[in-house]
Amino acid sequence: MKCAEAVEQFPFYSYGEVSSEVEERVESHLAECASCRQDFAKYRSFLEALDQREDVMEAALLTTCRTDFRQLLAAETAGKTRGGGWLETLRDLSRFHIPLRIPVGAMALVALGWFGARYTPEKFGGIRAGLTQPMFSSVQSIEPGNSGQVQIAVDEVQRRVVTGSLGEPRIQQLLLDAVREESNPGVRVESIGVLKNSADSEEVRRALTDAVSHDPNPGVRLKALEGLTPYAGDASVRKTLANVLLKDDNAGVRVQAIDLLTAHHDDSIVGVLQDVMQKEDDNYIRTRTRNLLQAMKASIGTY
Amino acid sequence: MYDAAGTVSAILAAPLDEAGLIRTAQRGDEDAFERLVRMYDQSVLRLAMNLLRSPDEARDVYQEAFLKVYRNLHLFRFDCSFHTWLYRIVTNVCLDHLRRRKVRKEESTVVETPDGPVDQVTRIVEEGPAANPERQLWNRELSQGIAAALEGLTPRERTVFELRHYEGLRLRAIGDILGTTEEAAKNCLFRATQKMRARLETFAPGSGQGSAQL
Repeated sequence: MKCAEAVEQFPFYSYGEVSSEVEERVESHLAECASCRQDFAKYRSFLEALDQREDVMEAALLTTCRTDFRQLLAAETAGKTRGGGWLETLRDLSRFHIPLRIPVGAMALVALGWFGARYTPEKFGGIRAGLTQPMFSSVQSIEPGNSGQVQIAVDEVQRRVVTGSLGEPRIQQLLLDAVREESNPGVRVESIGVLKNSADSEEVRRALTDAVSHDPNPGVRLKALEGLTPYAGDASVRKTLANVLLKDDNAGVRVQAIDLLTAHHDDSIVGVLQDVMQKEDDNYIRTRTRNLLQAMKASIGTY
Repeated sequence: MYDAAGTVSAILAAPLDEAGLIRTAQRGDEDAFERLVRMYDQSVLRLAMNLLRSPDEARDVYQEAFLKVYRNLHLFRFDCSFHTWLYRIVTNVCLDHLRRRKVRKEESTVVETPDGPVDQVTRIVEEGPAANPERQLWNRELSQGIAAALEGLTPRERTVFELRHYEGLRLRAIGDILGTTEEAAKNCLFRATQKMRARLETFAPGSGQGSAQL
């Protein structure tokens, strides 16, 4: 392979997007060409610099999107099932409001506040009588009445503080529920951080393996892997770790999985490790996997 | 999601089976559809945010894409993965936004401030607990350099680069998503990489730590 050809392959080689034949040719060229080695090191620096870009993802934005979409969907399904009328027209309008970002729900909430304040005497409690202010409100339906009033069904979520020891079933259940709190990765990390000390409970371990396998946030998956560390020798945990190693899209998570797997030699994962050698892009993980296979006296590839 | 009693909705705690969920949603079950949305919406929103660098546009993409999914789910025949099908919709909506932005010559999220140009989206990320100021400066400059370099790509190059480098998708999957061949996606990635590297080579990282010759 000539230098120009090798340099041209750097992007694809780095992403693991070349055939094994090209991979070998690039590697043997790099082994004998100091200039290309230097170029490749610069290329790796370029890729690493690109990773400095942080994902911009605000939890509040996700919540807003979900709320807006639920209302949009309600309008969509109502449009399918109902006939005409001013309410349907109003619901239809919500579709056109997408680019304008004026959810019908926001208007409905204003209406709710206005009607609530106007028609509910405070001495009878009314809206102000709630124990706490709603944390989250979502308008589910709006029905006009005959006398100019409007009936609005609102789902509200309120906050309350629950205190107790880790040994209490209701506290443990809340923590287990919090592991699946899909809109808040911070809560999931915190709950796993507390629960991991009770990972001898089968239910907790199952929650941790679920989080490792399915949580969309890599930080949460890493925390759950940390909780599973003492159980890396268990067959079911090792199966989960092998799946993570093969399928997780985050290299940091895969690195932790291979580190945990390496701590215990187990012939049953040879096939998985050989698959990893075929598919893995990350050099560190490939090296660890190769070393592990060699230590187990297994072949590196499948034939 | 917590209800008034502080418990998690059972619907979201149940084990997920994607194919079963899709079939149930295809039969009109709205709970199943919502669960399907929840399985993917974080990654969809992240992709839209990273491609468009605008919370407002990302929000529009979320609504438009999932509404299209809802309206067309009955046409999904399992002849590709749901992920590919969904991302095909999402990337098309994102590409439309990027192309409209080109036509409108819309400004990027980079705005002029007394301290020089600042990427508003990067600023959102950086407004956390104070870290090493030199490191912050370096990160800000680098992030702005990357944002500017990405702005210099065509919508298609940008999408391919985002999906390959940041989302980690294989070129074959990217080809499927964009309705093109793996080879075409590969060529697109090559052009994008060359442009990115050229833009970042002229980027002066300042005196901060962690600078690297690119």
